Amino acid sequence: MTSAVGRVGTLAVPAQRVGKLQREGRAAYLFLAPALLFFCVFLILPFIFAIVLAFSDWGGFDLGTLKWAGTANFGDVLSFDGTFVKPILVNTLLFAFGSVFLATFGSVLVAYCIDRLAFQGFWRVLYFLPVVATVVAIGNVWKMMYQPAGLINGVLNKLGVNSIGFLSDASYALPSVTVVQAWASIGGAVLILTAGLKAIPEMYYEAAEVDGANSWHMFWSITLPLLRPALLFVLITQFIGGLQSFALIIVMTGDGGPVNATNVAAFEMYQRAFKYGAWGTASAMAMVLFVIILAITLLQLWVARRRGEETS
Amino acid sequence: MRISRGLRLAVALGLFATAAACGGGGGAAGGSGDKVELTLLSHYSDGPSKEGLDKMIQQWNKENPKVQVKAQVVKFDDLLTTMTVRQTGGRGADIVSAYGLWGGQLMKANVVAKVPDDIATKIKAEYSPAALGAVTTGDTLLGYPTELNTYVLFYNKKILAAAGISKPPATWAELADAAKKTVQRDAKGNIQVEGLSLIQDGDNKSVHPFLSLLDAAGGKFLGPDGTAQFDNAEGKAALKFEADLAAAKATNPSIMPTKQFRSGGVAMAIQAGWWIGSLKTQMKDKYSSDVGVTAIPGPTAGSKGSLAYGFFMGVNQRSKHADEAWKFLTWMNEHKAADGQVTETGKWLADQGLIPPRTADQAAYKKSLSDPNLAPIYDAATYAMAEPNQPGAYEAKTALHNALMGVLADGKNPDDALAQAAKAVKPQ
Repeated sequence: MTSAVGRVGTLAVPAQRVGKLQREGRAAYLFLAPALLFFCVFLILPFIFAIVLAFSDWGGFDLGTLKWAGTANFGDVLSFDGTFVKPILVNTLLFAFGSVFLATFGSVLVAYCIDRLAFQGFWRVLYFLPVVATVVAIGNVWKMMYQPAGLINGVLNKLGVNSIGFLSDASYALPSVTVVQAWASIGGAVLILTAGLKAIPEMYYEAAEVDGANSWHMFWSITLPLLRPALLFVLITQFIGGLQSFALIIVMTGDGGPVNATNVAAFEMYQRAFKYGAWGTASAMAMVLFVIILAITLLQLWVARRRGEETS
Repeated sequence: MRISRGLRLAVALGLFATAAACGGGGGAAGGSGDKVELTLLSHYSDGPSKEGLDKMIQQWNKENPKVQVKAQVVKFDDLLTTMTVRQTGGRGADIVSAYGLWGGQLMKANVVAKVPDDIATKIKAEYSPAALGAVTTGDTLLGYPTELNTYVLFYNKKILAAAGISKPPATWAELADAAKKTVQRDAKGNIQVEGLSLIQDGDNKSVHPFLSLLDAAGGKFLGPDGTAQFDNAEGKAALKFEADLAAAKATNPSIMPTKQFRSGGVAMAIQAGWWIGSLKTQMKDKYSSDVGVTAIPGPTAGSKGSLAYGFFMGVNQRSKHADEAWKFLTWMNEHKAADGQVTETGKWLADQGLIPPRTADQAAYKKSLSDPNLAPIYDAATYAMAEPNQPGAYEAKTALHNALMGVLADGKNPDDALAQAAKAVKPQ
């Protein structure tokens, strides 16, 4: 009897729990509903629409004119005769890799120095200012500095060097814009890396000092390895941002010129869709860029995991 | 199970919200009872262009209480994007003002309605060939021509005189000679005065000056089917002319004439007629003493060329009040101004320094031009090449721009650049 009651009791408890869990689950989904709705309307549905468009011929305006095009858009986009693979995709990768390399290198250096300075808050704010400023302001200031009669050429002229067409010469335009993108994104990376530096226990440095390690050894053997999770985050977010960025390019070179020298994938997509009404081609480009970003991000995560970093 | 149900709910809600967002508005125009409200989307967003259009709309609204017109304006740079987004969302304006170059694209996407036969017949009979050409795709007229611009050669009289040049250039040889004589550089090679500017403001900035030179040489941009026509002897001659000037450093695409000309930083520039209005405002008294305008010369004496581009106002294919929209457009384009000599629209455009597209208006204004510099601009409307606007023309223009910039900024071989641009032109 006792055992029977006990059995009933033990069965009753899970049933109550299940009921409670169901109620909690419903409540949880109810609370999540606004976020899920937002996610669906502004992310999932447009993404599905973009996939449909990538396989369609559509000139915009009227959904009734949408026609199935198979893989023709991808054929056009990935053709080596066109401009997307070279120079646009090549520019995109150079722009992203270049700005990530410069920004990461610069931000590690700046964060490491700030961590050893007085008034750290002031320095962090100073380096964070470009992140707060609008891309339009940053782009226009640098554009003026790059002009033939601008500050940088003025300094070069004083040093006896002839003016350089930083934004008008196809050989200099992309590196010039890449430097600005890196400069503008250092601030955000410095904040994250500073937090990473603060999380490194002081005792490692004290122990290393006792063992006679110099600053370089400490940076190379303690700081850099323990900063890896923060660095990984910075690398991934900056790289994705670099691959998708085009606002700075619009401000600084207007049309991705000269001669497509600063044209990047995101800008070309915008042009194809909104200027030429070639939504199918633009969406196919978006899919290609999506695959590239996904592949590079997975590669970064794989490399980090092989080195035993926490990446989840 | 619960998860899939939750997800289904989220997707259903998402679809519902999207449908609600896209379906809002439904038609292109609103109306309550017998009263019809027409919307007119344009880029006439400030200054005399906005004031003139608003004045006409106010007059119409006063005289037609049952058909009210409401102006919606955006900056020109945002016009095509706004049209795209609003039309796709089912909220397109009843009347759209658009750049002729977009015509093919708008026609292909069923945005602009066919012009009724009686109105089309009248427009074809009463408007100048350049204005009609700029707003006709294939054989299809897109609407009432409004703005019309032609390209001419602007020059600084004082800079030319200081270089010993007493009259404006009349051939390519004279033009090149004048550009090389007037260019000035400092010891570091920085250009102080550019000889001849081959860049215009805005989109695909190198194309319009080149097409004007191409027209002067007797060449064509695109054929009726959208195929490239510029990779031939005339095109090569026009681009070689530009390449020689770039090699001699008499032209530099990084110098914007709209910023440098007024301060004497550019000796000559191939520009559209609308620029006169800006120069008058910016240069004030110096305008009449310094600025001269002449036809863009061709390779031989007596030859000249220009490009004409235009805007039009058409009716949205989705408008529920197309008849009322055409009635308004007909009134707007045909009713006379207070002086009874020209149409109100003609006056509105002429007041902005633009060429009225209607032949009678042009003739009336040409009789008594207040500024002699306007004469070559009006003349150009009689011989200018109309900017092609079939589907794919915009991409073709960008391909040509990239080729031209390769020559002007990067020193590429003109023949190779033209061949590459021609290959990139894909008829649609």
